[in-house]
Amino acid sequence: MRNPWTRTGNYKTSYAQDTTIFATYSEQASLAVFLIGMLVLPRFLVRGDMQILDLILIYALAVLGLNIITGYAGLINIGHAAFMGVGAYTAALVAPHLPFWAVLPVSGLVAAAAGAVVGIPALRIKHLYLAIATLAFQLIFEWAVGHSPALEQGGAMAMPRGMVFFGYKIAFKNHHYFWYYVSFTVLVLMAFGFRNLLRTRFGRSLVAVRDNDRAADAMGMDPGKTKVFAFALGAFYAGVAGALYAYWSRAVVIEDYSLMISIKFLAMAIVGGLGTLVGSFLGPAFLELLDINMETFSYAIKEIYNPPGVDVGSAIRPLAFGLAIVLFLIFEPRGLANWWRLLRSYFRNWPFKY
Amino acid sequence: MAQLSVENVTLSFGGINALNSVDIVVEPGELVSIIGPNGAGKTSLLNCISGFYHPTHGQITFEGNDLTKASPHTISGYGIARAFQNIELFGGVSVLENLMLARHTYLKYSIGAASVFYGAARRGEVENRRVVEDVIDFMELEPYRKALVGNLPYGVRKRVEVARALSLEPKLLLLDEPMAGMTLEEKEDMVRFILDILAERYTTVILIEHDLGIVMDISDRVYVLDFGMVIATGKPEDVAENPAVIEAYVGGAG
Ligand SMILES: Nc1ncnc2c1ncn2[C@@H]1O[C@H](COP(=O)(O)OP(=O)(O)OP(=O)(O)O)[C@@H](O)[C@H]1O
Ligand SMILES: [Mg+2]
Repeated sequence: MRNPWTRTGNYKTSYAQDTTIFATYSEQASLAVFLIGMLVLPRFLVRGDMQILDLILIYALAVLGLNIITGYAGLINIGHAAFMGVGAYTAALVAPHLPFWAVLPVSGLVAAAAGAVVGIPALRIKHLYLAIATLAFQLIFEWAVGHSPALEQGGAMAMPRGMVFFGYKIAFKNHHYFWYYVSFTVLVLMAFGFRNLLRTRFGRSLVAVRDNDRAADAMGMDPGKTKVFAFALGAFYAGVAGALYAYWSRAVVIEDYSLMISIKFLAMAIVGGLGTLVGSFLGPAFLELLDINMETFSYAIKEIYNPPGVDVGSAIRPLAFGLAIVLFLIFEPRGLANWWRLLRSYFRNWPFKY
Repeated sequence: MAQLSVENVTLSFGGINALNSVDIVVEPGELVSIIGPNGAGKTSLLNCISGFYHPTHGQITFEGNDLTKASPHTISGYGIARAFQNIELFGGVSVLENLMLARHTYLKYSIGAASVFYGAARRGEVENRRVVEDVIDFMELEPYRKALVGNLPYGVRKRVEVARALSLEPKLLLLDEPMAGMTLEEKEDMVRFILDILAERYTTVILIEHDLGIVMDISDRVYVLDFGMVIATGKPEDVAENPAVIEAYVGGAG
């Protein structure tokens, strides 16, 4: 009998149907419940929580961009924070003249242009050499900002305050709530956008150059152009994330887009699961929540054990971060996304075991 | 005029000639086999035709297009598809997606349409899915449609290689040892597929194969390569009796 609630009872009768993303009613229903849950969530949270939640959403968007480049197209990128930075500085420069909803795509496009330029070496070089090119971009970016008086040489560039959006004034109290809804909307739209790309020639070609760029070439794809495209697309996501980060943090400072952050993004992508969409959300959420809890934990440690000359408290956070990455690499290199997959396939194939 | 012509092609790797003044012509609809001992230069020849190597001397043309310096993706656009000797599939995705990847150049919709999966994007995907499903039917790959390619047994992966090349709807199909390492039954299937490709899909085929029994059975013409040189060419029965060929096989392999 046909039962559209589960996969096992679902016969597809056309190719168009077979390409749908959320195929069963129960998948559609859980998606709807999740989205509504996210929309009402702020009602139950205080300002401090919102700040963290905003950060997770913005980082998720950036990590999604990194996943496009590194996870899907297989191009190691150690300069992703710099793409985000390009977006953020673009936002700082254009925000006084444009409404925020125009600033976001403009920042994305400028970052995408930077991404394409960084991707050009990919026409010739591969693997580790290409990774070094992205590292070089990170360093050049930091150096260039540090030497630009127009960008305050890396010091704080303030974002406009007291914005009014359709008569709604964004002030200190509702700042994090407002940017939550903006970030969430942007993230959902851009994630769906990429999910759609994945079932078209654009997404498939990314995976093709990752898996076998000789074969991709023989199938009519230009591997070089595809890699440049991957960088531009991933950097676009990072650029939009950078603009959101700029608004969220109310100022653009170079430290927020440093090499350290690029490495953090890589860690988030790995912990979440490289080359998975859901991993782009799970990775940042896991590592940010871990960090916050470790901060609380380190205060508690200081109370109990605080030998002179050694700062036990501040060692806890980087230690937990490093440990989490190492444990994931050893025990679950496919990341949290793999747990998610197992959970899903359990429910999807219900009532069968496999 | 010949559909494909390889004229006086030499390919050197630092002094060693993998190919030495090779001349080959292929007419539309033919099944031409290339045989020769290991290291004779058969794969190197296919690499030159498909643009992975560029000849040191000589010229290759296909239906009026100069292939000599063209890139693989340009050449695939002219209508030449290839199945690799060492399976080169996209291991991380399904059989279906491997074949859909071969439709890349047929899909023309914009990134805007793709990001909402609407209009031209949806239509293009559905139309090309139909083409791919035909190939899946043709190559009897239905049971593996959604299977991850990396997990499939060797014989099936070889078949997916051929199916992927066919999905390009090529005018000329290059098959580099599509039956190597297969069981007898799998080989018979593959022979049947190749004959059907010729008869039903009107595709020219260049076949590299070590199993001389099969080659002599199904080829229209045969080229024999040894140390990068064409040492014999002609109808299978003529080639089989050629003393130079017997010498190359007995002397080389024996
Ligand atoms: N990229 C390369 N660099 C150096 N030498 C090469 C290269 N490619 C092929 N050769 C050499 O060219 C010669 C022909 O190799 P090729 O792979 O074309 O042989 P083949 O006829 O396909 O052999 P087999 O039957 O084993 O597949 C060999 O001596 C090989 O070592
Ligand atoms: Mg070979």
